[in-house]
Amino acid sequence: MSARQTTAGLPPAFSELAPGVSGARVRPDQLVAITNELATTHPARLADLFASEPRHGAELTLRAVYALDDAARYAIVECPTSGDEFPALSDLDPAAFVEECEIYEQFAVRPANDKPLNRVLIPPHADATFPRLGHRPRPELESLHARHVVEGEAFEFPFGPVRAAGWESLYMGLVTTGEEVLDLYLFHWHKHRGIERRLVGLKPERALFFAERMDGLNAVGNGLAFCRAIETAAGARVAAAAAHTRSIALEMERIYNHAAAVAATCQTTGLSVGQARAEIVLEELLRLNAAAFGHRYLFDVLAPGGVRRVGDADAIRKQLPRACGEFRRVTEALLRTNSHVDRLEATGMLTHEQAQRLGLVGPVARAAGCPIDSRADHPFAPYDQLELSPPVRESGDVLARMEVMLAEVAASEQLVLEQLADAGPGQIDVQPRSAAALGWAESPRGEALTWVSFDSRGAIERARLRPASVRNWRAFDDAARAENVFTDIPIIEASFWLTVAGFAR
Amino acid sequence: MTDDALAAELRRRALALFGRSLHIRTVDTGSCAVCESEIRLLSAPPYDLHRLGFFFTPAPRHADLLLITGPAVRAMDTALLKTFEATPDPKAVVAVGACALGGVYEEDGFVHGAVDRVLPVDVYVPGCPPSPLALLHGLLVAVGRLEERVAALTFDLAAEVER
Amino acid sequence: MAFWFFRGLGKGIVTTRYPKAIDPWTSALPTPPAFHSDRLTIALVDRLIEVCPSRALAREHNELIFDVGACSACERCVQEGAGAVEHSGVFELASTRREHLLKRVHIGRGSA
Repeated sequence: MSARQTTAGLPPAFSELAPGVSGARVRPDQLVAITNELATTHPARLADLFASEPRHGAELTLRAVYALDDAARYAIVECPTSGDEFPALSDLDPAAFVEECEIYEQFAVRPANDKPLNRVLIPPHADATFPRLGHRPRPELESLHARHVVEGEAFEFPFGPVRAAGWESLYMGLVTTGEEVLDLYLFHWHKHRGIERRLVGLKPERALFFAERMDGLNAVGNGLAFCRAIETAAGARVAAAAAHTRSIALEMERIYNHAAAVAATCQTTGLSVGQARAEIVLEELLRLNAAAFGHRYLFDVLAPGGVRRVGDADAIRKQLPRACGEFRRVTEALLRTNSHVDRLEATGMLTHEQAQRLGLVGPVARAAGCPIDSRADHPFAPYDQLELSPPVRESGDVLARMEVMLAEVAASEQLVLEQLADAGPGQIDVQPRSAAALGWAESPRGEALTWVSFDSRGAIERARLRPASVRNWRAFDDAARAENVFTDIPIIEASFWLTVAGFAR
Repeated sequence: MTDDALAAELRRRALALFGRSLHIRTVDTGSCAVCESEIRLLSAPPYDLHRLGFFFTPAPRHADLLLITGPAVRAMDTALLKTFEATPDPKAVVAVGACALGGVYEEDGFVHGAVDRVLPVDVYVPGCPPSPLALLHGLLVAVGRLEERVAALTFDLAAEVER
Repeated sequence: MAFWFFRGLGKGIVTTRYPKAIDPWTSALPTPPAFHSDRLTIALVDRLIEVCPSRALAREHNELIFDVGACSACERCVQEGAGAVEHSGVFELASTRREHLLKRVHIGRGSA
């Protein structure tokens, strides 16, 4: 038993599965008690909840992944279930609600309460042949939707899924009396491509191709979480130089995404000149990605066991400070443009309590006073050697999210420059067999998780992909409802800067 | 000219007649969002599609050209077909990216796998993603202002000299 | 607000001259492969088909069928091909017919 484990003070049922990860296997009647114990004795954050059912008739297992951010530990609670129901976690932990809905529509087992469930990824017209992750007869999906009551002077306004140029397909139902947003709900199912199902039976290298391209703007973040799960399952350790290369790619991904968020925010406030200037910087950053790593969006850099490509340190050293300097000048001008800042202040506010209750991650959480960042809270090489201080703001509005992103760009620039000398190639052979592991990385939008299990031939049995967007979309309606008019909604969406693809995988 | 080729040529000439401006409607049928990022940059200063007479429009009724990304997720069929039908003739359909052209995702219960399994496609733009310059090339080919190049290429370095 | 105007002037023209000229940075773009047909063998081609994650490669007897449209330019075949496969450097790939993107490359020496 490591010193870490006893410090974490986990209940006795837990044992160490891997560095920074503990696990416990409990019976259904123990599930609620142990998760309550975690929630009350630690500030445990529900990071994910998912089910696996390897074959028809095989045991269906629930896994709840809790993040103990103060104790540098993830705690996985594994619970085999039988029958049609499992103990509801969402009664006490609202952060579990979306996942319970997802488990019901994919596996036909529901939480043991009477709460109406929402449709998550399976379209309304889906028939019995629609592919699902589970093998039991499909549940009654028709009735699957929490009622939205629209009364009095309010009316419902459908928007999407086809939207403006460059905005992903997404359906928004707006409930309004004319201007203010009374309620808002989102349907993400239009882009559901069944990636988790596609990965079953694949070997690690082939699976990584899809894991990167599932949510391309977070290719490195999601891809790194995936690679680390594979490497942990294989008991492999990536070479130090390769770990630095991966971190450089991840921080460059963070920088370009935040620049794109600033450009999008200017588009939504109508500040065309700000949008244009921010897009010039974004284009410079994407060209730098191509010059340094051979792809504008950093695809195909990672490999299980290391990296496929090494960054061009000279190109990065010359061009990154120039691009980031220009970004600083643009954002300083933006913060002095009152017509722009006025649209951001007090818009789309999330409280600290809301962010915690829903288990949010990334800049959205940090802007609402939650000081979580998996690079600092659950460090792995090379982040365990780097100086990190994630920026936090308290007001939780669009402006706070922008300020967090600006501070992160400056920090990421330093992280890249200071690692260039130590970065290099490296790829070791990894062949996990009959093993399972959790992997994580701080993608531009927040903590990305992967849990993957391998069979005896080394093929994937179950891959759980949880990009950051899966956690954060659920807060969008709260942010939109907080005294906003519906012209604020695009501004809020830009400030969240999530992806639909990352949710509808 | 075959009937097909004649129809295509007429369509291109008609689009060229619109000449001064061409309006583009984008449809995402399940992309990873990176093709969208490149499309957004078309209106940014480094590329400025307006100088070529192209404009984005949020209304299919005003569109001359549909720019479609993604592997044609079946859940988007209704929205995609509605957009296509709402776009008046003459119109061009441009499929963007490896996903939309049949790569990456194989046809299955979730996706058709390629846009041309749902709609007639006039121009195919390969890439993962196609960069904004590749997109500009595709748009200019669609309106007949640039010649297609790939037909004549063999991708065989031991054969004739390419380029 | 004046600072936006003067800053913009100071930046100069950043717009590409495409299609009148090709920007030099485009040489860093990933592009589909090109094959040295005289260096291909059936065994190598079958290995390339296996590493391609996007179903862009297939074989019919001793012809390699390369689907440029399905290619994601991931370069796995370039890495595996060890000298028989290179970057084509072509990014202007738009085509008016799907068949124009299907290329047949003869495997080994001899005429196609």
